[in-house]
Amino acid sequence: MDNINVLIVEDTPAESDALVKVLTENNYNIAGIARTYQDALTLFYQNTIDIVVIDVFLDGKADGITFAETINIVPNSVKPFVFLTSSKDRQIFERAKLTKPFSFLMKPFNELEILYALEMAVEKFYGQSNAFHSEDQNAVISNDSLFIKKNKSLKKVQIKNIVYIEVEDRYCNIITETEKFVILISLTKIIQLLDPAKFFQTHRNYIVNASKIQEIIVNDNLIVLKGNHKVTLSDKYKDFVKNFRVLK
Amino acid sequence: MNNNQKCFFIALSFLLNSIFVFSQGKPVDYLLKSEVKKKVLKYNQEINFNKAQVFFFGKNWDSTLVYSIKQLSSKKAPELKNYCHYFRAVSFLEKKIFNEAKKEFNLISSDFRFNYKVNFLLGEIALEQNEFKIALSHFNAIEKLSEDLYDFKESGVLLNIGLCHLHLREFDDAEKYFFRSVELQEVEKDSLMLISSYMNIANLYYTQYKDNQAIPYFEKAYSLSKKVKSFDLKRAAAKNMAAVEENRKNFQTALVYRKEYEAWKDSLNDQNKVWEIAEVEKKFAIKQKQKEVNVLAAENKAKIAERNGFLISSVLLFVLLGTGVYFYRQKIRNNKIILAQKNELDELNATKDKLFSIVSHDLRSSVNALKVSNSKLLDNLESKNYTELDVLLHKNSSIASGAYNLLDNLLNWALLQTQQSYFYQESLHLTSIVKHVEYNYKPLMLNKNIDFKSSISTSDYVFADLDSLKIIIRNFLDNAIKFSKENGTISIYSRPASEEFCYLVIEDTGLGMSEATRRELLKETILLSKKQNDDSIGTGLGMQLCKSLIRKNEGTLDIESEEGVGTKIIIGLPKFKNHG
Repeated sequence: MDNINVLIVEDTPAESDALVKVLTENNYNIAGIARTYQDALTLFYQNTIDIVVIDVFLDGKADGITFAETINIVPNSVKPFVFLTSSKDRQIFERAKLTKPFSFLMKPFNELEILYALEMAVEKFYGQSNAFHSEDQNAVISNDSLFIKKNKSLKKVQIKNIVYIEVEDRYCNIITETEKFVILISLTKIIQLLDPAKFFQTHRNYIVNASKIQEIIVNDNLIVLKGNHKVTLSDKYKDFVKNFRVLK
Repeated sequence: MNNNQKCFFIALSFLLNSIFVFSQGKPVDYLLKSEVKKKVLKYNQEINFNKAQVFFFGKNWDSTLVYSIKQLSSKKAPELKNYCHYFRAVSFLEKKIFNEAKKEFNLISSDFRFNYKVNFLLGEIALEQNEFKIALSHFNAIEKLSEDLYDFKESGVLLNIGLCHLHLREFDDAEKYFFRSVELQEVEKDSLMLISSYMNIANLYYTQYKDNQAIPYFEKAYSLSKKVKSFDLKRAAAKNMAAVEENRKNFQTALVYRKEYEAWKDSLNDQNKVWEIAEVEKKFAIKQKQKEVNVLAAENKAKIAERNGFLISSVLLFVLLGTGVYFYRQKIRNNKIILAQKNELDELNATKDKLFSIVSHDLRSSVNALKVSNSKLLDNLESKNYTELDVLLHKNSSIASGAYNLLDNLLNWALLQTQQSYFYQESLHLTSIVKHVEYNYKPLMLNKNIDFKSSISTSDYVFADLDSLKIIIRNFLDNAIKFSKENGTISIYSRPASEEFCYLVIEDTGLGMSEATRRELLKETILLSKKQNDDSIGTGLGMQLCKSLIRKNEGTLDIESEEGVGTKIIIGLPKFKNHG
């Protein structure tokens, strides 16, 4: 389970310091602090970034919005971002709103508010609104990562590292090669969100990452996965074996 | 002799004309008429024939020609063909197109019942064209027919035969026929024809130089002519007499007759002149009338123009008056509106002024308190009384945050009034928002030792603008803390909600308020409540701001309160986007 990498675009050191303090306290990883539009672009494309926090006004100009607009141009590399602003000026907001998905945070803000804003940004960006705050879910699934709300902060797990998922009531045990943890999400939802070419249901309670399969023992209704994890293969889902070329 | 000859020809040509008139004028066509009537009844679907005959008997020759040719070209009812040809022939004859008439007569088949009429008319045409022999043959063909069986006048036929003989200079035959015709005419008492006949006989004798036989007839004609009205006959008779007397060298008498002849001629002319004068007078009168009519018409026109002018000008005036009245009323109404707006603006201005004074007073006292506290702080720092420092700093911080809240509200109020702020409603997770706000107040409540309970269902979402919702909760929470005693309890929870609304309750166990205050607070008014006591009641700006924001978010506000027990602020917010 990895920390989330945050890029801060903020020209006032006092404010960026406060932000850094709050975020590090909550186990966020600060990937960089940009003071200008140009810095921001450089840092954004050089590092692995999960979320960007952008001050609307950089040195008195609305460069923050310009930055958001710039990264919005390349759809594949764009990441969730949050605007920070002390002004509720409508014109600025109307412009900022065009950089969808758009979430913002009014200054001054407290710890809870900035964390909430980051979560909202992730939710909205991946189109899974209210995922972190509903009673029966605490995770957002993107193409390559699983964002999990753990206590007050967010964590991520690379989907390719997942070996298998075991469903237990409303919970899912996520088993990676190195660790094991529980997230709150329904089976139907997680199947919907995972890539069907990579993950297969083998049992009422199991979802398996196909790339981690080492052996399928059909007779024993057993699948052996990387790390010697064993998962049951029920008759109902045996069909998925057809997806593999069987050597005879 | 020359004179005689001349006289004879005048009489003769006149005679021919008179024959024409008479032969058509007499009601001798009764047989033809009744026969045609029968044919009409028999061929009642032949409209053209019917029309042709109507026009024929109505002597409307052109129309007769038109309809008869139509009937002929339709080639129906061959029995009618002869009639049509007959109609056409007579029509042409009447129009003096003799050759056409002759052709039409020749087209009539020999079994036509009225062939005698054809013969008679052909004879007349021949007579007209001076082909006396042909004429004679035609007349002779019908001479022997009985007048009773056929509707024609034997005397006319006889007269015509006589005329033919006369022209052919067969005087004996001419004499014979003239006498026979005279006999018949005397029986018929046809004086006009009789005069002609007498004159013809006289001429007959006269051309044979039988003056003695001729003169009595001239005289007879003359005396008879006195009794008739025809000027032409009178003139001819007088002229003949004059010629006769002149030839007898009886110049005096000749002169008398000549004078009479001139007189008749004159009278004819006079009559013509009288007619002409009458015509001219008539024309003049008509012109005069026309002039009068024109004058009247012009007058009428002028009158109409005048009337129209009056009408238009009155309409214009009316319109002018109407628009005047309209604009006047508009002006009055505008004035009223302006006055009302002025009053409203005055009121608002007064409110604003009051707001200014209250806010500045509050700020002044806050800053003053900060100043006093800071000087105390400095004193304590000098005296190294560190325990007191902590207390003072906390106090300073709370004063600062109070002042900050006031300024924040002021800013938001101003933004709301000018509608400059960004307003965007979305689905919000109520617990999270409440937690965010309460986070800032935790130290304050801890300081006052207030027991704070928050129990909002995590499944509650509201549809609102995030910032407004925060301002609302902040203000009510601030109020709740302000009015709570030490060790009091504040709880925030959501009430069992309706389908559309989520109710957020902020309950405190503080001072509470009277019913009057409660009502005052809930009133839809922009006026700020009066400051009742110094510290515990603020500007009222926060309350106003909350009410406005709730309204803008399409929410509701209710207050339940009991003095000394506590207050419940109930905020109802829509769960979903309204109206689609």
